[in-house]
Amino acid sequence: MRELNVEALARVEGDGGITVTLDGKKVKSVTLDVHEGPRLIEQLVKGMKPEDDLNVIPRICAICTLSHRYSAIRGLEKALGIVPPEKAQLMRELMMLGENVESNSLHTFLLALPDFLGYPSAVAMLNDYADDVKRALRLKKFGNHVMAVTSGRIVHGENPIIGGFGKYPSKKSLEEIKLKSHELIPDAVRDVELFASLEYPTYSEAETVFMSVNAPNKKYGYAGDSILVSNGKEINAEDYKKLTSERVVSHSFAKRSLYQDKPFTVGANARMVNMGKRLDGQAADLFKEHFSHTWLKNPLYNNLAQAIEMLWSLEHMPDLVDEIAGLDDPAIVQPTRLTGSGTGAVEAPRGTLYHHYDLKDGLIETADIITPTAQNLDDIEKHMKLTAERMLADDKKDDEVRLGLEMVARAYDPCISCATHLVRLKRI
Amino acid sequence: MTRQSPKIGIYGFTGCAGDQLMILNCEDQLVDLFHATEIRSFVMAKSDNHEGELDVALIEGSISTEEQAKRIKEIRDRSKVLIAIGTCACHGGPQAMKLGEGKFEEMYKKVYGNAKITISKAFEAQPVDAFVKVDMYIPGCPIDKTEFLGAVSKLVAGRHPYLYKFPVCTECKWKENPCILYAGRFCGGPLTMGGCGAICPSHNLPCVGCWGPTDDLNVPSEYQLLKEKGYKPEEILQKIKKFGGGKVAQLVKDLEKKEAKT
Repeated sequence: MRELNVEALARVEGDGGITVTLDGKKVKSVTLDVHEGPRLIEQLVKGMKPEDDLNVIPRICAICTLSHRYSAIRGLEKALGIVPPEKAQLMRELMMLGENVESNSLHTFLLALPDFLGYPSAVAMLNDYADDVKRALRLKKFGNHVMAVTSGRIVHGENPIIGGFGKYPSKKSLEEIKLKSHELIPDAVRDVELFASLEYPTYSEAETVFMSVNAPNKKYGYAGDSILVSNGKEINAEDYKKLTSERVVSHSFAKRSLYQDKPFTVGANARMVNMGKRLDGQAADLFKEHFSHTWLKNPLYNNLAQAIEMLWSLEHMPDLVDEIAGLDDPAIVQPTRLTGSGTGAVEAPRGTLYHHYDLKDGLIETADIITPTAQNLDDIEKHMKLTAERMLADDKKDDEVRLGLEMVARAYDPCISCATHLVRLKRI
Repeated sequence: MTRQSPKIGIYGFTGCAGDQLMILNCEDQLVDLFHATEIRSFVMAKSDNHEGELDVALIEGSISTEEQAKRIKEIRDRSKVLIAIGTCACHGGPQAMKLGEGKFEEMYKKVYGNAKITISKAFEAQPVDAFVKVDMYIPGCPIDKTEFLGAVSKLVAGRHPYLYKFPVCTECKWKENPCILYAGRFCGGPLTMGGCGAICPSHNLPCVGCWGPTDDLNVPSEYQLLKEKGYKPEEILQKIKKFGGGKVAQLVKDLEKKEAKT
């Protein structure tokens, strides 16, 4: 028996590692170990007012800060009987587009791409790929800018609140977003071309099931009240527990999810599988050109899916900004009740994120948060195990196997901070 | 005279990775930062990491497992200067809001049940200085780009960085915002370290206290003011402790004791 380890998985958010246990050439197990310490956030927000919860839960993860905030707002507004005003709703859509551009450009270029091109980091690529790296940083900076204009700050902005926004942005700053997003579209197209030109190793290929929200009005989007499963089923977001039955494993402070006893995938690839036909603009053309049945089996295509999605997010900013600028600033909507329950489901860049709250007399009685990475962990391990088996059968060296496994794990854009501290144990 | 570029290590412990992300968010300066310093270890950003002697270790996050406690000591041993970056490293962060209340075991059980997690033993999150000597604190949730880059530039030049030393209220006054506290709303401004630019009050929202306590915080005075405005003691305590970690928790405890006596 021997072990093949990746002690500290680099270029991901959070503290994780990979352990492969081998018996000769036989792979006994492959685990994604989560070293990140627990934080027990769901327990800490118990007894808090909804407004205080909104200060704490975005701190679960810096990269998905607005997804956490939005998911919580959706759940809490349902529980409090609040219907948000149109302008607030559109602003939330805009902030999600910003987060999508920021996170997808960070992941595809700074975290994932160096593996494909054989470099240890994006900075190390500068000599040979200066234009590509600088383009990625431009897109990332703009994504951050949109997050700052809408939420008040690049990371952990507090401006989006229950019932609306503290302050709406000026027409001038909205106009700047419109001009800049338009200007960056060719950059995003170049990114899609780059990721479409990469060679995606096939070692990890296997069938799986994909889940994403069903964005309203048959459009592509990052929030919805029901969940699409790639087997054709559609389930109300309030029934999320039917999709994400959870368990604890010994090698991780993050919990695991299975659907009908099988692992499943969430994320950009899942959104493309479930909603790709709803894309429009150049993103739709590029999706049609590049999407194939291989995407259904090979998790590495999540990188290309993220690149296409980033383009769609940019293409949608100008119209959205016009709509927002055309509306008067509404007052913050107050709760119509103080006891109730609600589930929010949004698409964080790395997949579906649920926040469920039960409120009693204006205070949080229970909070249940299920993150995309916690849902993906079982599928990551499944695809990593196949990769290890096939690469070893192909007489690949240990270092090559390590890289192969890291690429699979990274492709899911895992957020280990997110996955760790969450998810309450369900007792029956 | 040529100065050797300082060897830097950037490490993340229990937190949201937001401070490391803020370093990556310095899009315009990132390339220069990598060239002006020798970044020996930055696991979130690169895979060619070399652990060895460091001039400066930048630490994000609180310490919440035995493995982490060992690792932070090991990093301290090989670093000339150790800097805590962000509220979690400086004060413990939200995960330390109930520090000292003895509720950790119970909460841990509710989350993980009796399941055996063998990877490491967890305990209630604490700030970095509960385990090792910290030479400098750069607070923030997340840290501010300008303050961080300013501090690094000074360190590269062999100088001591200048850091913000005033509460959020000071910045709020500079911006001429109407006072939220006087309007009767709960605002953490007087207790919270400045440097963010008073973002929340500038958006008509109360300061949530995310940068942690100022050095000259005056808890009793804010506590009295809020009580006069009609806030209940338990709500005040809950809000005050959200980001303050151990330091504010202790002050609040003393206040509670005093309250009980009178």
